[in-house]
Amino acid sequence: MTRKPLSRRTFLRGCGATLALPLLDIMQKSGRGAEQAAAPVRAAFFYIPNGVVQSAWNPTETGVGFKLSPTLEPLAPVREKIALFSNLDRVKVAGTDGHAQASTCWLSSAAPDELSPAGYPLKKTIDQIIASETGRHTPFRSLELSCNPYEDNKESVYFDNISWYGHGHVARSLRDPQAVFNRLFGIQEQKVFGSVLDLVLEDAKSLNRKLGRGDREKLGEYIESVRTVEQQIERVTSRQAEIDRLKLAPPTKPWQAMARDEFIQVMGDLMIIALRTDMTRVATLMTAPERWSSPLTVHGLFDKPIGHHSMTHRQGDDNVREELERLDRFHVEQFTALVQKMEAIPEGEGTLLDNMLFTLGSGLSSGALHIYTNLPNVIAGKGGGQLATNRHLKSPEGTPVANLWLALVRAMGVEASRLGDSTAVLPLA
Amino acid sequence: MNQQRRHLLLPVLLSYALIGASRLDVCRSLSSDSGTKAAEQQSAVRFDFHTVRGRESKVTATGIFEGEQHLTLEGSSRVQGMSHYGKQWSGNAHLLWDGVVGDSLETTFRVARGGRYRLLLQLTKAPDYGRFSVTLSGASLHSDVDLYAPRVELAKRLDLGEVMLKTGEQKLVCKLIGANDRARKFRGRGYLLGLDYLKLERLDPEPAAKAAPESKPTAATEFETGTSRIAADFATIQPLLKQHCLECHSGDDAEGDVRFESLTSRQGFLEQIDLSRRALRAITRGEMPPEDATPLAPADRRKLTTFFDSVIDEYLDSAGSVAPVVMRRMNRYEYSNAVRDLLQLKGDVFPLPEKAIRPAADYFDPASGHFPSTVVVGNRTLGKNQVEKHILTGVSPFAIDLQSEHGFNNRGEELSVSPILLESLLRLGQSIVHSPEFDDYCQATPNLFSPSDGTSNDEQTKIARQHLAALLERAFRSPVDGETIDRYVRYLSSRLDAGLSFSDAMKTTVAALLASPRFLYIAEQGQEEESDSDREAKSLTAWELASRLSFFLWSSIPDAELLDAARSGELLKPTVLEQQVRRMLEDRRSQALAENFARQWLRLDQLITAVPDFDRFPAYYSRIGCEQWKFGLQTMLEPILLFESVMVEDRSIMLLVDSNYSFRSDELQSWYSADSPFKGKDNRNRFNTFQQAFHRRHLKSRREGGVITTSAVLTMTSSPLRTSPITRGAWVAGVIFNQPPPPPPDVVPEIEADDKAIEEKGLTLRQRLEQHRVNQACASCHSKIDSLGFALENFDAVGRWRDAYRSGLPIDASGTLFGESQFDDVIGLKDALLDHPEWFMRAFSEHLLAYALGRELTLTDRPHVDQILNRVVADHGQFSTVVTQIVLSKPFRHKVDRIEDSQP
Repeated sequence: MTRKPLSRRTFLRGCGATLALPLLDIMQKSGRGAEQAAAPVRAAFFYIPNGVVQSAWNPTETGVGFKLSPTLEPLAPVREKIALFSNLDRVKVAGTDGHAQASTCWLSSAAPDELSPAGYPLKKTIDQIIASETGRHTPFRSLELSCNPYEDNKESVYFDNISWYGHGHVARSLRDPQAVFNRLFGIQEQKVFGSVLDLVLEDAKSLNRKLGRGDREKLGEYIESVRTVEQQIERVTSRQAEIDRLKLAPPTKPWQAMARDEFIQVMGDLMIIALRTDMTRVATLMTAPERWSSPLTVHGLFDKPIGHHSMTHRQGDDNVREELERLDRFHVEQFTALVQKMEAIPEGEGTLLDNMLFTLGSGLSSGALHIYTNLPNVIAGKGGGQLATNRHLKSPEGTPVANLWLALVRAMGVEASRLGDSTAVLPLA
Repeated sequence: MNQQRRHLLLPVLLSYALIGASRLDVCRSLSSDSGTKAAEQQSAVRFDFHTVRGRESKVTATGIFEGEQHLTLEGSSRVQGMSHYGKQWSGNAHLLWDGVVGDSLETTFRVARGGRYRLLLQLTKAPDYGRFSVTLSGASLHSDVDLYAPRVELAKRLDLGEVMLKTGEQKLVCKLIGANDRARKFRGRGYLLGLDYLKLERLDPEPAAKAAPESKPTAATEFETGTSRIAADFATIQPLLKQHCLECHSGDDAEGDVRFESLTSRQGFLEQIDLSRRALRAITRGEMPPEDATPLAPADRRKLTTFFDSVIDEYLDSAGSVAPVVMRRMNRYEYSNAVRDLLQLKGDVFPLPEKAIRPAADYFDPASGHFPSTVVVGNRTLGKNQVEKHILTGVSPFAIDLQSEHGFNNRGEELSVSPILLESLLRLGQSIVHSPEFDDYCQATPNLFSPSDGTSNDEQTKIARQHLAALLERAFRSPVDGETIDRYVRYLSSRLDAGLSFSDAMKTTVAALLASPRFLYIAEQGQEEESDSDREAKSLTAWELASRLSFFLWSSIPDAELLDAARSGELLKPTVLEQQVRRMLEDRRSQALAENFARQWLRLDQLITAVPDFDRFPAYYSRIGCEQWKFGLQTMLEPILLFESVMVEDRSIMLLVDSNYSFRSDELQSWYSADSPFKGKDNRNRFNTFQQAFHRRHLKSRREGGVITTSAVLTMTSSPLRTSPITRGAWVAGVIFNQPPPPPPDVVPEIEADDKAIEEKGLTLRQRLEQHRVNQACASCHSKIDSLGFALENFDAVGRWRDAYRSGLPIDASGTLFGESQFDDVIGLKDALLDHPEWFMRAFSEHLLAYALGRELTLTDRPHVDQILNRVVADHGQFSTVVTQIVLSKPFRHKVDRIEDSQP
């Protein structure tokens, strides 16, 4: 089944009609864009849970102009601006759930033997490593979004997050588009916090003196957050006039009432706006959490709610696999729609997409076997000219995905020579 | 090490693994009979857990048998409430009997362990009471007790001296032999007797640990007896290791990275305690040696488990510590309660889906000791994307913290504060105090937010300072120094200087403290213990203990009385601590244990997203207006109300496994019992989603009762078109036994999503699943998990009973529990649980302890769980005993800071 790619109209519908045009117009003149200096490179990550049907994902051809596989077919309109990486692995560490580890450690910078107290090879994730660098310039160091549609609390924090400041310090994602909007653009609200922050920081310091080492580390998360918010307020305030001129209107529809594609696109829109307006230069978007065997309604694709996770374990059945492939394709379509939106936003001489490194991936290669070898990885954008696109780079078997992550963080301006179990920098061009 | 503890350890150890062969061996060695015969005899003396009711008697643990609840009522015996005669009657009631001269009151009670006891009898005196002789199981104890008194009063307690009792049933006979001259006849013919309670005081010393069991091991005694310890020298196992393990577990390519070749002494295994623990678990579970290797002879298996057991014992003895607790942030349920109690609000600050029950009126009153027989309640909406109405305008909760995979959402390491959360908290505090309804909603400190009249600015600040000092102490649950108070006063002044009114400035200040880490975190430092050899564990200060206690029992901050006990240091006395626990359990705020603990323990949230197939199970849905609602709305309340009744009436937690009553609305009752629920109504307005009267109903069949067989649990562990025995089995293993199965392997068999497709092949779901159990690695786990799930196969995917599958294929619900107890159906499963009440009591105690501590339990908790369990078993699982013993345990009263790599 093919689906019409989402048009720019969705973009407008999602965030309110007043939003898109004035934004693009004004940002063009805001002086933060490309006129004065080269536009910054931004990184974003698009996560799909439970792996993909490998047989339909992997193209048989490699190199430039490779033939797209059935699942990747929706990427055809933007194929000039994407690169596919295959044969990249992560080492699975025994003892924790295969799904939880998949999401939690997808972007982990930890080597397989660097276990957090919870048993995961988890420490700061690469989006946060990038944010430590790029966050020096932007109001928000990073943005974490999730289109988790489930209203129960079936799974733990490890299934529901891909971004971590450190092993026990989760960068919790926002799943309410209205809250995302208010966070990014509700400057008035933030101003009030200033004086309170001084007060509570003093409380934190006095408490800190009395604590043991482990607890001091925990309180450190609080103190760090106070500093981040302080900085945020300062920077957002300095850009208040610009933001006011945007006359942005928040999305009005509750996320609970949104169809799957709408939810993902609205979140994607907010992400794009944040990147476009240089509110942040790094973002993660989880389309849904790992496993979470609750039924999922995918409007327009299936008549009845489906169980994504359980389907991955039944893909030996032809009908089930066919349905699963449709779902994989659906996710690729959603990704493509966001890529097209980035492509439609002019920036300097090119487009926003030219300055993006927008990665689509999953922490599992196939949900059927919970395996971490040959993880799906598509990167869209040119990374300011750092990424050679329209090609499929198949690495030698057993290449750590950390090699790609290392290349990404370097492309984002982080000085690093090793990352986790990386063995080399994977060439992006 | 202490012999007795050694015996307690084995079962604990096993509870951290799926119980395997080693447990079976031990059980057999305890009994001279065969296992089957022992089981039969056990069921013959199975304790009736319905007789436990602590809230009215409060003293069952101390050997007291209340006339009105522990003694059997025979003949004319009945219960009479005595509160209108005064408060001196224990439990406010006694057993009342009447008869004519020559008649006897006969009653029985049960003694868990035979031996010498002192028997005391508390009787009532009254004008129409007679004279009695007293015999116990045939032996005369007293020839003439005169119960006449001019008015109704409690008699002096009668000391009947020393008696020798056998384990099991005792018969007490009080024969009416006449009456005092002044006594008047009851109804003109006979006389009465009132028995408040009888009390047994054990005179025998505790049995030496090596003593052989004196009678059949019953639930209560099993843990106090055991096998004698076998010398566990490394030499005993060295040849076994070589023969059975080394081939695979050595060298560079050792299986599972487990290497034994370098371990050549007992010390070596002590240093590699985690490896020892894993080895023990694998051997006990029967996972090792693997199926294709030479099996271990039972005697050799015992040698190995004994060795590893003893190594772990020795480790625990030397470690002697408790595991670290990471300082934790309040979750939003706790935040809501804490703000409500701090500012004395009339209710919650925001609606929380975590609060599943929406009562029409207050019904939860533990002080009454009585759970109402009818409760009118609603539920938050289920299954519909519902944006709930604000309670206070503009006040929305921050994001929910997810439950740990096998635990609760109160673990420090999973509760962090990110910039986003900090923003939410800052905004939240302000939105609460500045909401338009706040002034009417806040009944605290009417002076707090208004300036005192006609005083100078200095005077105002001084008064505000006093208010703030008191508020900060309550908010921070600890002494607050002058510097901190000054800081908040300065903040208040700065707001006043900025032009805010006194009221607004004070509100802003209060909102600020709600975002302070000292409010948000439950932080502990502990104090050095002088005499404890344990270097790491510090005992909590009285203040810290107060906080732990209130967050455990109320999910909130301490109240004034608890803080007083903290301030004076009295709380550190065990008697005061215990008394506070009792008081707090009788407070309505203890409902948090049901709302927060029980809901998470049972993982009831999973019901929210259960979607039985619309066409297969149409009755599960009802269209109201233009929306489809799910029946789970009502079913969710049943297990919670059962839990609450156990709490309020302080009954045995075993009722959560098997109860002869349950709370159901008429609709829910028809769900279970009618061929066609809801009188065959069609989709439109099929059931009422607003409010329902839940009645306490006596259950006729033991298929029903307890939490396992509730429609809620059975529905949420099913998939849309069929049951899911594996999910159900995993739920029972995790929730009821606290032995969550390990993460599933990578190869998961593909089973049809619709049982229709399976049955068309002439197979039952069970046969289909068994066909797929080809892989030995899977089989070893699944044989245990699945049989727990198959036991529930008589309940369909929405929890309704069925005698056969829809295709007519028969249902096989039989199985074996831990290779030990055979059962034919769900009643058999419940019997097995009742015959080994310590299984569930241990699991429940562990769940509640983990919740109380806000951390995962570890190896070092085992001795403490054993101690808790000892008392819980002795009290037949009385709810308050579980709570009290947890509070008195070392892990609850101590703090260890996290030290890297200190724990295996």
